[in-house]
Amino acid sequence: MTTIDRDTRIPDPLELDRAEEERLRIAAGLTPVRAQVGEYAGFDQVGIPDRPPQTEREVEVYTLGEGEMLVNMGPQHPSTHGVMRLVVKVRGEIIVDIDPVLGYLHRGIEKLCENATYTTVLTYVDPMDYLSTMHNEHAPAIAFEKLYGIEAPKRAEYIRALVVELNRIFSHGLMMGFLALDMGGLTPILYAFINRDEIVDMLSAISGQRMLFNFFRVGGVNFDTNDEFLSRLGTWRSNVMKNIEMNERMITDNEIFRARTIGMGTLTGQQAISLGVTGPNLRASGVPFDIRKAHPYSIYHELEFDVITHPGGDSYARYLQRIAEIKQSIHLIDQIIDRMPHGPVQAQVPGIIRPKPGRAYAAVESPRGLYSVYSISDGGPNPYRFRMRDPSFISLQAVPKVMPGKLVADTMAVMASFDPVMGGVDK
Amino acid sequence: MGHLRRSGTAAHALGRRRALTTPVAAGALVRLLTERFAADLRDLWTDADTVEFTIDAERALDVMRSLRDDPDLDFFMLADAAAVDYGPGVRFEVVYHLFSWKHPAWLRVRAHVDRADPRIPTVTELWEGAMFHEREMYDMMGIIFEGNRDLRRIYMSPDYRSFPQRKDFVLPDDAADSPAAGVNPLERPETWDLSRFRDALTVSVAGSELRGDAPAEAVEDGATLADKSRPR
Amino acid sequence: MAVDRPTTSNAPEPMLPVTTGGDGPIIIPDQAAGDALLRPFDMEEHPQGGFHGLLEVIPTKADYLLDLIRANSLWPLLSGLSCCAIEMMSTATSVNDIDRFGMFPFRASPRQADVLIVAGTLTTKMAGPLVRLWEQMPEPKWVVAMGTCTTSGGRFKRSYSVVQGVDRVMPVDVYVPGCPPRPEGLIYGMMKLHELVKQRRGQWDTYVDRGPQRTRWEGDVR
Repeated sequence: MTTIDRDTRIPDPLELDRAEEERLRIAAGLTPVRAQVGEYAGFDQVGIPDRPPQTEREVEVYTLGEGEMLVNMGPQHPSTHGVMRLVVKVRGEIIVDIDPVLGYLHRGIEKLCENATYTTVLTYVDPMDYLSTMHNEHAPAIAFEKLYGIEAPKRAEYIRALVVELNRIFSHGLMMGFLALDMGGLTPILYAFINRDEIVDMLSAISGQRMLFNFFRVGGVNFDTNDEFLSRLGTWRSNVMKNIEMNERMITDNEIFRARTIGMGTLTGQQAISLGVTGPNLRASGVPFDIRKAHPYSIYHELEFDVITHPGGDSYARYLQRIAEIKQSIHLIDQIIDRMPHGPVQAQVPGIIRPKPGRAYAAVESPRGLYSVYSISDGGPNPYRFRMRDPSFISLQAVPKVMPGKLVADTMAVMASFDPVMGGVDK
Repeated sequence: MGHLRRSGTAAHALGRRRALTTPVAAGALVRLLTERFAADLRDLWTDADTVEFTIDAERALDVMRSLRDDPDLDFFMLADAAAVDYGPGVRFEVVYHLFSWKHPAWLRVRAHVDRADPRIPTVTELWEGAMFHEREMYDMMGIIFEGNRDLRRIYMSPDYRSFPQRKDFVLPDDAADSPAAGVNPLERPETWDLSRFRDALTVSVAGSELRGDAPAEAVEDGATLADKSRPR
Repeated sequence: MAVDRPTTSNAPEPMLPVTTGGDGPIIIPDQAAGDALLRPFDMEEHPQGGFHGLLEVIPTKADYLLDLIRANSLWPLLSGLSCCAIEMMSTATSVNDIDRFGMFPFRASPRQADVLIVAGTLTTKMAGPLVRLWEQMPEPKWVVAMGTCTTSGGRFKRSYSVVQGVDRVMPVDVYVPGCPPRPEGLIYGMMKLHELVKQRRGQWDTYVDRGPQRTRWEGDVR
């Protein structure tokens, strides 16, 4: 019987080559090779991180324990959330810690807005959270109206609520598509984009633009409804429940989808509040917080709708929450269409408004959560300080909290269920 | 309710007092605030839907902790944390917006931060979600949050050495100031080659003779023409 | 065709032939230095490239077919940065479909992509990774600057962190203006790109390293 000597090391082939090379070089009288650290394949090795860690949390994340390594899910990755970098510390396939690196889309919108008139500011905020443009414009419009001391006419408020709910519907529909896409399902995203194109054609009939609608003004909206908008609205409304149910049926009872979302990324209500998560993500953790009910703005105190919550707190609950909110939005649109009054759509406001010095805070419910604007006026034509609080920015802090202990492959799925949009995250 | 003070300095004249139009519950909030924080309040101001008060930076953490933990106040959610720069030599302000089920108004807490040595205690131990807010305030304004475990830049590159949202950080007027100005040939008029249009603009002599026009005048080299509408 | 350009790679210098100890390096002389017959014969030096007369039809038609194949199956790199990415996705999905032009697979890896559609605002922080992606793409490669942010900085013209046009960091073949361009506009840009591909024109060998692209501001200490 052969005995295995546990002390004998099986030589590494690379070691053998190196030893052989050393022997040959010494026999030929050459100097031995001095290995140069950091040179491999002809380019300099760039480590993660490329500078010493500066803060306590950085030290915590970038210190590798036994069997751990850092994997960079870099700014360009196949998931469709935009440019975000996640430095993931993994042990095998299990995540130990995540450090999100943001700022790859930081465009300095707040600083640019300090040099723009109030109406121009409403165009600068469009590309922030580019999937919910109407909400991006709604909050500053309310804040500037508070500063200036006027109210928009009733018809304008109804049109605002209408387009805002339409925007919410297609944004939630896109989230459903992206969630399936990040798990490898390529079909729901096509249906989501068909849904979006229908609504966006409708909104382009009323505002002239497919995506970054420059529709809101201080004191109302830019254009009134027209025939094309109304005919498209009618056609869409008669088909939408069927379409939403078809989209939903594709994914909701799908075994793979359920296996990958149920129990994933669970966030309790207390954790969510502490992290600042708002919107559908918070309501899916059981907290019935909706700005439209909590601090009603626009005409939401006249409309009747429910605040829906799900107790689960996992990705599946967030997905179901958004479907329920789409149905609520359709219900809201029905009420708006029934009750819309006649009248002007824009208050008489000069081209360049100069509000009296003051401060105003306006918060709206965007498809991603609490979107708010804090604006300070100094009496001049430009805002003195224009600050936007984007919901996706704060919700991203939940990802390093829920992911440790899960597999790397679930990162993108859980992130998709929080539905961040990097334009808003990076401003 | 006798401690409502107006702000002393009128340098920027921000904020004005309006009559309370809110229902009684907001009056309850104002009364509670003036009872609990009588020593800390520097100024209190109300609006139709907002109650705002001003404190000093050192008291920020204690005040926020009381606001969150006091059962009558119960401001459980931090909606927003923003920084404002009032100019070099004036001050910074860190502005928190809070929400509570018990009070129908937003609560705005403004903390005055010294501009020369901008330090304020962090509220991340009360709300973990304040981490990104404070990182952004540090990145854009340079305010140091004492006790924050992860105070590093979030939007700009880690080696960036300026604070963009300060009032003394001025945007350039146009891209001509950048080191890459004029690098695109279309941005530099000296690369525009008008001679390539000469053939297209030249009138055909044969055509004009067939039509019976007068023959084209011959131009000598070096002669300047009166007609400078195109290069000849 | 070799074009002189500044080399941007950090590869070590090519190694000299093996040395034996003592006298210095043995240099193997280039035997074909002066002898025209011994130089490696380049097919393209000959005017007909080796095909004479009627046989010339073969490379010409093959080239034409190759260009046609290349044009009708350009695979874009999935590099959506911002709002234009959503319109690019809208172009790629059912209603406006660029799958009919062969561009269905948006490759995740730059090694497999032909065309880089820069869709969205390029910031100074992202410029480095994006140029690295472009350098990793094998030639022939084309760049489509989609939207006004990539053409000239767009609505963020005076911003401190936006690169004023992606042609400051990489050579661009097609500019598609719009904010965001309609899907029909992007498809028109793709048709223009097809023309370029069929004429074998591209800017991929005109890369010039212009240094870090950032605007100067008052108080800049870097």
